[in-house]
Amino acid sequence: MKKRFTKEAVLVLLAIPILLWTLLPIYHIFLFSISSKDSAFSGALWPDKPTLRNFGTIFRQEQFYLHHFWAQIWNSLWIAVAAGAITLAVAACAAFSISRLKVKGGRAVMNLALFTYFIPAAFLAIPMYKAMGMYGLLNNRWSLVLAMVTLAAPYAIWVLKQASDKLPVELDEAAKIDGATPLQLFRLVYLPLMTPSLIAIGTYALLLAWNEYLYAYLLLSHEQTIPLAVALGHFIAADDSPWELLMATGLVYALPPAAIYYAFRRYMVSGLTTGAVKA
Amino acid sequence: MASVVFDSIYKSFGSTKVLHGISLDISDGEFMVLVGPSGCGKSTLLRMLAGLEDITGGTIAIDQRVVNDLDSKDRDIAMVFQSYALYPHMTVRENMGFSLKLRKESVRRIAEGVDRAAKILNLEPYLERYPRELSGGQRQRVAMGRAIVRDPKVFLFDEPLSNLDAKLRVAMRSEIKALHQRLKTTTVYVTHDQVEAMTMADRIAVMNEGRIEQLGEPLELYDRPANLFVAQFIGSPAMNVFEGTFRSNSVEALGARWPSTARAAEGQSVRYGIRPEHLSLGGEGIPGEIEVVEPMGAETEILVKVAAQTFTVMTHGRASFAPGDKVRLAPQAGHAHLFDASSGRRI
Amino acid sequence: MSAIAIPHAPAAPPRRGLTTWQTWGAIMIAPYVLVFLAFVLYPVSYGLWLARHPESYVKLFADPIFFRTVVNTVLFLAIAVNLKFLLALWLSGFFVHERTWIRWVSVLFLLPWAVPSIPTIFSIRFMFNPEWGVINSVIFRLTALDGPNWLNDPRIGLGLSMLTHIWKSLPFWTLILMAGRLAIPREQYEAAAVDGASAWQRFKYVTWPSLRTLYLTSTILSMIWSLGDFNSVYLLTGGGPADLTHVLATLGIRYIRLDQVDLAMATIVCAMPLVLPLVYYMMKHLSK
Repeated sequence: MKKRFTKEAVLVLLAIPILLWTLLPIYHIFLFSISSKDSAFSGALWPDKPTLRNFGTIFRQEQFYLHHFWAQIWNSLWIAVAAGAITLAVAACAAFSISRLKVKGGRAVMNLALFTYFIPAAFLAIPMYKAMGMYGLLNNRWSLVLAMVTLAAPYAIWVLKQASDKLPVELDEAAKIDGATPLQLFRLVYLPLMTPSLIAIGTYALLLAWNEYLYAYLLLSHEQTIPLAVALGHFIAADDSPWELLMATGLVYALPPAAIYYAFRRYMVSGLTTGAVKA
Repeated sequence: MASVVFDSIYKSFGSTKVLHGISLDISDGEFMVLVGPSGCGKSTLLRMLAGLEDITGGTIAIDQRVVNDLDSKDRDIAMVFQSYALYPHMTVRENMGFSLKLRKESVRRIAEGVDRAAKILNLEPYLERYPRELSGGQRQRVAMGRAIVRDPKVFLFDEPLSNLDAKLRVAMRSEIKALHQRLKTTTVYVTHDQVEAMTMADRIAVMNEGRIEQLGEPLELYDRPANLFVAQFIGSPAMNVFEGTFRSNSVEALGARWPSTARAAEGQSVRYGIRPEHLSLGGEGIPGEIEVVEPMGAETEILVKVAAQTFTVMTHGRASFAPGDKVRLAPQAGHAHLFDASSGRRI
Repeated sequence: MSAIAIPHAPAAPPRRGLTTWQTWGAIMIAPYVLVFLAFVLYPVSYGLWLARHPESYVKLFADPIFFRTVVNTVLFLAIAVNLKFLLALWLSGFFVHERTWIRWVSVLFLLPWAVPSIPTIFSIRFMFNPEWGVINSVIFRLTALDGPNWLNDPRIGLGLSMLTHIWKSLPFWTLILMAGRLAIPREQYEAAAVDGASAWQRFKYVTWPSLRTLYLTSTILSMIWSLGDFNSVYLLTGGGPADLTHVLATLGIRYIRLDQVDLAMATIVCAMPLVLPLVYYMMKHLSK
């Protein structure tokens, strides 16, 4: 009995520094968001007069760096959703082709795809920037969307392939005998059975695109095409910028991924962990 | 309703040959069973008929039309898989109606087809359930229902009862047989269980290592097996077989003379086969010793040792023997089978 | 009617040409193949082609910050990644305990990974601001002393970048190692407990042998990815002070911003001796 109590106590004692370490920077964002300028720069741990005024300033686009806030957050959303949807489409088709249709060279494509992850992302960004220039896509939102698809698709294909390999071959055979064409098999049998994995992948690609900074910074520069991440980066340029506004905007920017992560955490975690056990 | 004709069918997987020139005529409405041990090629043959495997050589014709180049869906066949292969995300009704939905039939026609099949198989209470909510036997019936809805020319069964427990298997056997008598659709049924073959088939093709060992009606295979393989494969418990030499009109083996009405050449090396129910234990015959007595209720299975060979004897009713008893084994000469010792073929 | 056939030559010729199913297979894999060709293969080839001039490398090595950057990068890989994985190994053991409250802690624990870098890393940057950051304010309140000028000292700056990197990527790898732990059959632990093994022995003889391969491959993969961690350095220190905390990832981008594409590409090529052995190890392991 006493041993059990000690063990629980140890676990709780461990949890405290873990939570402190994890949440401190996040709490700090929140702290600044609800502080006035003076209060923020006084180094207090909790503002004297917590205020929501910062959010008002942001939503009314009243500050120099925030003039295009709504356009920019819309860009972030547009890019994230487009990247998620296209990754899903491309990956689902490719995984179906490799796993069920057993296309020739499927495994080679799969391995090549995974090779993308052996190039550190920051290194791939530079030639990608030049290539997008040559394709004439710089400053076009599609360049970032396609870059995100490139980065998310290999993982997506891999997860979907693993999941679909678990489906018995007899299902496809029964469908063939029932008279299904490849497209009918894809639409009526494969996609419904892949739904949990599809949700995991779509969420992953969406978050990846929303959270992205470097590629967005390189590929998009026009005030009105940049996503919110790049706009936030601009803030840091001036020395006397209103940091509390930056943090408040950052909080607004961080809330959607936090919420989506929370809503879909089970799908995402299982998507990640099946991968680990395979490796 | 249709005939099925396999003409000189060859199949290789890469460089491995699995079927060596199979020819088989199945008449319209017949229940043909392909039976044999694992790896004999029976499933491969069935899958080639279904269009799930390519045909390396030869032709297959359904209803006198060669189907080699036709996709599965154009062959007008339906298949019941060993693992049922039901779509897990669809209800029983949707599973059964899937083929009609793919053909873009009207909702009414689909409902009619599904209801009709459900009635035949007593599946009406389960129509809105999902496969995971059903027992093995119910799932198997849904798989059959899916096949019936298609109203095909040929039914294909690939070891459908292997995943069921023994009691359920017996019940489903009669159901399938009754279904065939009702619908009269040509059926090709693959199994490794010779009891299923014997009880259900109009004719049986016994296969081994890519060849047909014998083709015929069940009792014909039982009473007159064409070779040792068929003799020992068909019938449970298996036929007793041992080696001996034919002299005068009996076989010398195990230090005794075994009577036989069948004749071989004088001095020929033969294998003597006798089924367990054609041996009796009594006062006259070849001396032996009882090893094990297994009472099964209506019959009793007795293992008797003669020299180095153990014989299985099947007697009706109860037997009053005990292990260690000395008895005399009397074979019925008219039911003895003689096979050539080297080729295994019936003499 | 029929009999056992006399084998003769096969009659039907094999089907030629692509069937519908194979055609669709090619059609459905085509979109990804196009993406790969256009956005991976072409850029990488083009980049390598841009890096072909030997003069770029002469210029690069002559730049005084290059050598420092390489050292920073190696330190980053050696210290940050390994420290991170030791922590991940330890914390994964914490999180596999089955308690409801621990599950809630793990949900919060994954937040750094799920939320974007910009606000969080800026947040850390502000926390360490020497004048008005909370860290120095608390130090002052407790000790009446001025805290150090954190980000202006190149060594502390690099160290804080490493900490930021760990803060951001630790949750992901902890999760991976947790999955690895959960894959170990419970019976092995039960057998060890019956045999009287202590906690350390259980780790050494049951957990570690099963986890070892995953740990190593994850570490290697993480090293490859950490080479590309631009955010942790750039958003925290900007590479400063005086370009002393750059790593190869941020250095390359710096050259791009100065429109010196050849130097940027040369930087990447110089990172190859670090990347390629790691990639080689990964491929050797994965092909087993």
